[in-house]
Amino acid sequence: MTYLHILTYASVAVFVVAIVVRAVRLATTPVHLRWELYPVAHEKDRVRYGGSYFEELDWWTKKREKSMLGELKVMIPEILLQKGLWENNRSMWLWSLLMHNGLYLVIGFAGLAIIGALAGTATEFGSLIKQVAYIVGLIGYIIGVIGTAGLFVLRIGSYRLRSFSPPVAYFNLLFLLALFATGTYLFAVGNEPVDAIAGFAHELITFSPNAVPAGIGGLHLTIAMLFVLYLPFTHMTHFFTKYFTYHAVRWNDEPNLPGSKLEKAIQRQLGYPVSWAAPHLKADGKKNWADIALDTGEDK
Amino acid sequence: MPKHVKITDIGKNPGQQLTHVNLADLLPLPPPYDKLDEQPKWAKIKPEHKEKLECTLDDTIAVGFPRPKTKEEEQELVDKFLSGLEKLLTRENNWTFLQPLLLTLEHCAKCQTCNDACPIYTASGKNDVYRPTYRSEVWRRIVGKYLKPGGKFFGKFTSGDIELNWTTVSRLMELSYRCTLCRRCAQTCPIGVDNGLITHELRKVFSQEMGIAPREIHEKGSVQQLTVGSSTGMTPLVVKDNIEFIDEDMYDRTGIKYETPWDKKGADILLIHNAGEILAWPENPGAFAIILEAAGMSWTMSSEKVGYDGINYGLWYDDFQLARVALKHAEIAKKLGVKKIVMGECGHAHKAIQVIADRVYQGEYNIPRESAMTLLEDIVFSGKIKFDPAKNDFPVTLHDPCNMVRLMGIVEPQRRILRYLCPQFREMTPHGVENYCCGGGSGFAIMSGHNFQDWRLSVSGRMKLKQVLEAFDDYPGPEQKKYLCAPCSNCKGQLRDLFGYYNVWEKSRIQYGGLVELIVNAMVDVKGEFIEWEFH
Ligand code: SF4
Ligand code: SF4
Repeated sequence: MTYLHILTYASVAVFVVAIVVRAVRLATTPVHLRWELYPVAHEKDRVRYGGSYFEELDWWTKKREKSMLGELKVMIPEILLQKGLWENNRSMWLWSLLMHNGLYLVIGFAGLAIIGALAGTATEFGSLIKQVAYIVGLIGYIIGVIGTAGLFVLRIGSYRLRSFSPPVAYFNLLFLLALFATGTYLFAVGNEPVDAIAGFAHELITFSPNAVPAGIGGLHLTIAMLFVLYLPFTHMTHFFTKYFTYHAVRWNDEPNLPGSKLEKAIQRQLGYPVSWAAPHLKADGKKNWADIALDTGEDK
Repeated sequence: MPKHVKITDIGKNPGQQLTHVNLADLLPLPPPYDKLDEQPKWAKIKPEHKEKLECTLDDTIAVGFPRPKTKEEEQELVDKFLSGLEKLLTRENNWTFLQPLLLTLEHCAKCQTCNDACPIYTASGKNDVYRPTYRSEVWRRIVGKYLKPGGKFFGKFTSGDIELNWTTVSRLMELSYRCTLCRRCAQTCPIGVDNGLITHELRKVFSQEMGIAPREIHEKGSVQQLTVGSSTGMTPLVVKDNIEFIDEDMYDRTGIKYETPWDKKGADILLIHNAGEILAWPENPGAFAIILEAAGMSWTMSSEKVGYDGINYGLWYDDFQLARVALKHAEIAKKLGVKKIVMGECGHAHKAIQVIADRVYQGEYNIPRESAMTLLEDIVFSGKIKFDPAKNDFPVTLHDPCNMVRLMGIVEPQRRILRYLCPQFREMTPHGVENYCCGGGSGFAIMSGHNFQDWRLSVSGRMKLKQVLEAFDDYPGPEQKKYLCAPCSNCKGQLRDLFGYYNVWEKSRIQYGGLVELIVNAMVDVKGEFIEWEFH
């Protein structure tokens, strides 16, 4: 067992656990008050102009029609094409597009390499996968380098970005750049990059660790695994927390209907003890939320 | 171009002003409002106020908090602030917004995409302090350094440097009142991070933990509403008197006789106005009554304390004040046994009762609530009232109140009415959910202490003024009368001040007013013109 094998097992394990913990933590936070922002993507026809069910007379007597397809229609162009940046931050768009898609392709490359390793390169399927993986990986690493380098230069060059950037913002970009650059170099030196990755993956899957791949392959995998280890502790988790920011907040227009599950959840929360210190609240750490909300101070 | 300000500057140079607003830096307005020497000059903060009150952010004061006298007092306030920030991140104290807040805390990519969406930042000539991300970053850095495990060692690297001292806290307190909570910035964030939410939550720390909020929205606002009955100071007796007077006045003006129903048990609709309308724009509640009566609706107003004032300032700064007022509204509606509560033309009252308080209402207190826009649309197109759109044949544009439109999705009902009743209706750019705030949101419209009015009319309202003028650029002068429809009491307050400040009535002959006034103006049964073409 080499350091790289240990690092890989550890990184993947930490990644999975940390992401699950973060997702559970976010998913189990209390039901919040509504804070939606229009357009709400699952509104059927009204989404065109950002309308809501509040536009209907006696809306609570009508069936609400939701379109999950509507949410996908917003999320997919956002994830794949960085639509938000295209519309509101054009100078960053191209670089971000290349960086994000580079990352998707590199993940795809790793996935294909693993499938290839499992299928065995001797089979026709295996060799086809290998060829596809090669193309996917090559493009992914190259556009990743271009995109990340572009973002780095932009961040240094633009006052607006530079002025509000903590050191970690540069570190993250350099980390990603190192990942993409070593990957690109792996392809450039022509040492059968797919075989190197697939071979390593095979060793991991079959629990038969051998040596660290020689040369740049070893370095690249080390950087990649450190990145996997690091990512769950950064803002880059937005790759999945976007589900919450969009679906659970921005588009959360679920009304609190009498007798609903939502109402019950809130009932529990209204019983939470409150310890805010401002005098007008008269909270003491024992009175609950509802007690304080019902005390209007009228009699005083 | 304003001088650059770094995030770390917020805690530096105590006693000195962090930034300045120079009129020459501000976003240019269209002619004839473009001459620098004709820009209204700002009132100076009185020296005694400068000496006594915290005012080192920019050139104005919103909160007006007295300067602590000793270092110990300062430290106590800083500690309180930090304990408030901590409570903001707990389930018990802040279940109301914890999930969105955590998401916003942890996922900003510092791409600054949101900056240009902010009308305050843009109108200020791009002053760093007014960037939507400035206060957010300060908050994030404080949390990163002082509340996160290991923050003292890693905070500087992971969140960025910051010094938490009274200078930081006092400037942040003022800065939390330099954002109208319009959430236009949040709309453009690709990740779904919400800088408007941070303003809201910071204001909560100041109010709920430290007992600090501008007098106009707390003492004179939500507290007065709960104790006297209305933030206007009107008691139940006074409000009934005023409405009686309005009923009579409407008869004189229109020839239509009606009597506003009070406390009618079992009515279908409880109509709640922003009580400011009754005092400042009586024609608005009057027009509502004319329409509802003409359509034969079963409706009532409430003369119980709080029941005749739909405002709910807690929405902007304090969850408990919000809930207190909202629960009172529901309790009154329940007692009357109405089928639904309809909010008059007031955006924040709409959002407070329909959206934000929605999840606070439990069981029988959860009485259906509806927007006046929807009800009015139904009435206008029901055929119950005869209209002659030719009576409204003058240029009309529509302001979209953020609370009603971007934050509630009530976009089309008011437009369908205007397209039908106003032959010269035109949109401003941008409009609908992408509108610009009037600049009076989140309490600003009622805040005029010291020289805050200068700030909100020169900076936060600037983009709106520009938009309105451009919407009428085919008739720029005073020869043609024009109407800006703003179906929100707060927005009207801001627009009145804005138009007065820049002499818009004299220079461009633009009148502002609500939607119901246009509806009544087009009614065949109403003799002559209902809209008064004089500035008030
Ligand atoms: S709030 Fe959103 S748009 Fe603004 S800097 Fe952060 S990630 Fe970018
Ligand atoms: S909420 Fe509105 S005013 Fe506040 S920072 Fe965002 S865009 Fe600017």
